[in-house]
Amino acid sequence: MKLLLVEDSERLQRSLSTGLQKHGFTVDQAFDGEEALSFIAINQYDAIILDLMLPKIDGLAVLTRLRSDGNDCHVLILSANDQTEDRVHGLDLGADDYLVKPFSFDELVSRLRALNRRRSGEKNPLVEVDGVGIDTVTRQVSFAHTVIALTPHEYRLLEFLAHRRGRVYSHDQLIDQLYDAGSYVTRNAVEAHISSLRKRLKQAGAPKLVETRRGFGYLIE
Amino acid sequence: MYSIRNKLNFTIIASMVLVMSVAAVFLYVRVAGHVEEIFDSALFDKAHSLISLTELDEEGLEFDFAEEGVMLEFHEHAALQYYQLWEEGVELLIKSPSLGDTDLPMLDTRLGQHQFADLALPDGRSGRLIEINFMPRVEIEGDEEDEDYGQEIPQALPVTMVFARERESLDATLFAIGVTVSGVVLAVLLLSGLLIWRLVGSGLSPLSDLARQVGDIDESNLDARLTHKGEQSIEIAPIEDQLNHLLERLQSAFEREKRFSSNVAHELRTPLAELKTLAEVGAMVPEDPEQLAEFFKDAGDISGQMEKIVATLLELARSEAGLLRSDPEDIDLSRYCDEIWQHSINGQGSGKSLVKNMPDDLVISTDREKLGMILSNLFINAVSYSPDNAEIHICAGIRNDNVVLEVKNASIDLKPEDIVHMKDRFWRKQKAHAGNGHSGLGLTLVDALAKIMHLDVNLKLDNQQTFMVTISGIQPSLH
Repeated sequence: MKLLLVEDSERLQRSLSTGLQKHGFTVDQAFDGEEALSFIAINQYDAIILDLMLPKIDGLAVLTRLRSDGNDCHVLILSANDQTEDRVHGLDLGADDYLVKPFSFDELVSRLRALNRRRSGEKNPLVEVDGVGIDTVTRQVSFAHTVIALTPHEYRLLEFLAHRRGRVYSHDQLIDQLYDAGSYVTRNAVEAHISSLRKRLKQAGAPKLVETRRGFGYLIE
Repeated sequence: MYSIRNKLNFTIIASMVLVMSVAAVFLYVRVAGHVEEIFDSALFDKAHSLISLTELDEEGLEFDFAEEGVMLEFHEHAALQYYQLWEEGVELLIKSPSLGDTDLPMLDTRLGQHQFADLALPDGRSGRLIEINFMPRVEIEGDEEDEDYGQEIPQALPVTMVFARERESLDATLFAIGVTVSGVVLAVLLLSGLLIWRLVGSGLSPLSDLARQVGDIDESNLDARLTHKGEQSIEIAPIEDQLNHLLERLQSAFEREKRFSSNVAHELRTPLAELKTLAEVGAMVPEDPEQLAEFFKDAGDISGQMEKIVATLLELARSEAGLLRSDPEDIDLSRYCDEIWQHSINGQGSGKSLVKNMPDDLVISTDREKLGMILSNLFINAVSYSPDNAEIHICAGIRNDNVVLEVKNASIDLKPEDIVHMKDRFWRKQKAHAGNGHSGLGLTLVDALAKIMHLDVNLKLDNQQTFMVTISGIQPSLH
């Protein structure tokens, strides 16, 4: 799940990014509204974590611009403004969720996962594909009651494609989704992760799951 | 609590009842007195007519009115009248047949005088009498030239006559007058009461309207203002104006308070969120000492920032509670400015320098600690909000026997309209956390401290984008 974290507090950016990445999220960081809009213009995000009091362009203006441009990306507002009218205003402008600072990091992660499920139409945090179970909460993959050990990148790849079954994603799209904007990743890295994922599934006796469409990319049927 | 309308109604109606009652009694007494006078006058006239028919001649006293067939009212008549005459007040001379065996009472009236009195008539009716003590008229017949002219006339003695008649007609008239006056007064009072009720209600309706509007206002609609229908009354207008001004101040105070609470919450929530996230995420990376060290450093910085906010808020609270006092002492201003600059900026000034323009020997008398806090805040602000490598100027000089201190720096993005807000708590040009550790309390504290030290703080932005803080009223040292 690819996130854009828009927060002007450098310290909060740092700790949140570290924590979210640990939970398997791909995180791009923007420190003001202007930077956030630049990121949004060139990347596709599953969700945006948006602070309201931002330098240059404030959070609500970013949200308004986002929605007026037809971008339906999930937006979770993360703000110290705790008044009901603030929340109502934010949600009415098109935010999908509102979390007041200080917040529980686990709650933030749960809400992000819920937003991701909402996007894919899944309500159950446990996704099952051809007998392979993907627990998006514990981030564990299992087949026939046996846990399949995956690296964070392999897991993200599997979860991403499992949530978007039937859709083909190119190397570039997968790089874009699985890595943050600051990472330098080649096509070979994606291929290596796909190969490794298939190998681990095979070792567990699970189906191959990830199919290749030559010249187009990868998908889970 | 009482109702002005009820009190006004009661007071006016009670006053009217009192006034009308007094007027009615006065009127009744006057009219009744007059009617009684007329009645008594008739009584007097009748008595005099009887007297004129009384004469003394050779045969003694003659009472022509007692002759048969004359003055039937003293005999058998629907409205019987009575008389009785005594000589020298002792010997009964004559009484009207209507008296039968009864007598009229005799008053003690002196000769030539008369008096009236009420009595119960023999037939049981109430009556009124007049008693006159008079000398009977002497009737002498013959020629005055005769020797014996008048000698055969007995000696005239004073005669007391009492004439009485019923007074029921008088009482009926007086009763009718009383009933009429009372009726008119009651009717007038009733009508007046209704009119007063309506008029007072109508007259007080702007007040009722005002009370209703005021009653409808609570903390949720402090933006409401009192209005009036039609022409404004000169009595209500100042109340309405004052209440509206009060509402404005109240709304402003509520908003300020709300903004303050919200700002405090915001300023503390963000570092709390940072701390909480650092703790939670830090627990996820126990294997990464480098990351943990960075997190611990962040936690230390956040604690310091929160400590600073809390300390400043406490300082402001103390100043507002009047717990801070100014303790003046002699200070070498130039040296003290250098000292505070070094201590506050501590090499973190991004190449910015302090340029002093003040006499080296200028010694002032003020509170050292508070002046230090003021200068420190001004220097930190000047350094934070000026372009790289800018010069921060501090000038001082004596003007009108007082020292005036001025700190100025080139400003990056201030606008003239920002100046009025700069002393507000938590006001920042950029609402976001710019990472410079400013919470928007610096100039608020400067202003609060200056007030305690009886100094004036004036903020100004000139056309060249130079921001100036002028502190005036500093006392030069007397030593």
